[in-house]
Amino acid sequence: MEPIIHIEEVHKHFGAVHALRGVSLDVEKGEVILIIGPSGSGKSTLLRCINRLEEFDAGRIVVDGIPLDTAENINAVRTEVGMVFQQFNLFPHLTVLDNITLAQKLIRKRSKAESERIARQLLEKVGIPEKESYFPGQLSGGQQQRVAIARALAMNPKIMLFDEPTSALDPEMIQEVLDVMLNLAKEGMTMVVVSHEIGFAKAAADRVILMDGGQIIEMAPPEELFDHPKEERTRLFLSKVL
Amino acid sequence: MTITTSKSSQEKKVTRFDNWWFLVIAVIALLLILIFLVPDPYQRIFVFVQNGIGTTISITGISFLLVLILGLLVALARLSKSWIIKGISTIYVEVVRGIPMMVQLIFWYFAFPSVIQSVGKWLNIQAFVDYRANPVAMAILGLTIGYAAYMSEVYRAGIQSISRGQMEAARSLGMTYIQAMRYVILPQAIRVILPPVGNEFITLLKDSSLVSVVAVADMTRRGREFQAAHFLPIQTWVMIALLYLVMTLFATRVVAWMERKFKMEK
Repeated sequence: MEPIIHIEEVHKHFGAVHALRGVSLDVEKGEVILIIGPSGSGKSTLLRCINRLEEFDAGRIVVDGIPLDTAENINAVRTEVGMVFQQFNLFPHLTVLDNITLAQKLIRKRSKAESERIARQLLEKVGIPEKESYFPGQLSGGQQQRVAIARALAMNPKIMLFDEPTSALDPEMIQEVLDVMLNLAKEGMTMVVVSHEIGFAKAAADRVILMDGGQIIEMAPPEELFDHPKEERTRLFLSKVL
Repeated sequence: MTITTSKSSQEKKVTRFDNWWFLVIAVIALLLILIFLVPDPYQRIFVFVQNGIGTTISITGISFLLVLILGLLVALARLSKSWIIKGISTIYVEVVRGIPMMVQLIFWYFAFPSVIQSVGKWLNIQAFVDYRANPVAMAILGLTIGYAAYMSEVYRAGIQSISRGQMEAARSLGMTYIQAMRYVILPQAIRVILPPVGNEFITLLKDSSLVSVVAVADMTRRGREFQAAHFLPIQTWVMIALLYLVMTLFATRVVAWMERKFKMEK
């Protein structure tokens, strides 16, 4: 079967910094991939290349059969790929409900009633149905991140990307977000997650990738990578975070 | 906690907002007193400059509307990734901001028609040779081109004040650049730029008096005409000054009210 995400020899430079040095990766449908690595290792950059928020200089990425080349294709891919950010990036001038319905109406061309019905279902799913008329600024970080997940899911994405979804959260709010992500993984969503939540990785990830210096250093199922790392750099990194 | 703080600061704004309306009312009252209790010469001046009031308001209003549109386009051009579009819009802003408004207005009314006529002679186009400038149209053109340069900077600052993550979130949901601007970035930027935009409007209203040098019968020009005919400089210019003051103070209050309204929606 065709991989749902195909990344081939991708290079990316930020000025003089070679952020991605020929990264290749195939993700199968339904897989949950966790990417770990020290800061500046290129893990977020790689994630952001998958929906072309970051342009890459060389290489090829194909998502669900669509190559990321023309502006039309990039937009087509973006409607199929949901993204969750470290800083939530909810739209602060819109209510929770409007945050979730805006793109549905604009891009999926759903009616107001239809998009609101879907939004309410999703708010139920992420556990905050009572907050629909609140503004993002009135919610806790954990609640905001769950709204952000609902907003992405409302577009019926085939793939979800998570860019350090719990890094900006207070410790007591991390679990509520991870629970939503665990449920998604159970439902068979294809997920690529940049995060250091080892517990989540052990519970849900099919593969864990360690990146350093813009390269994939090691890739293995979680128990293998965490308990019996092959590479010295993996061992070094794990000794710092575990 | 945060909600309580913002509420109390809103209440403060409401009181301040009410107080300053008295200034508008006071100036209007002063105007009415002068017009009705001292009809000679104030009512005569008022009647004489009446149509100038309309001209000043409509030139300012139309120019400002065009400035809002052109300014936004220039701001987006300056934020463009294409260096040609960015370069042209940057040159426009720098050149226009570097030339006094009065000189620009004189150029559009006196020099620009000559340019058209010369081109017409050169290319043998009779319509161009016969071209005569309409003073009001040239005044609006001059004010629009001059002020759009300033306004584009206001827009640009507003757009850039919105965090990059907002654009990224919108684009990652599949919105086009224009949709993201229209529904996500600009609604937030408007809240930021409302005070400077209001400021631009008031400056434009005052600078519209410059059009009196290019044959437009605005308030200022009507005042000069009255003074020339009746030699009452003090009374004439007190009247004209009060009329401008009513308009600018009123505009300031409207901007303050809009600011407050947008804040409350948030």
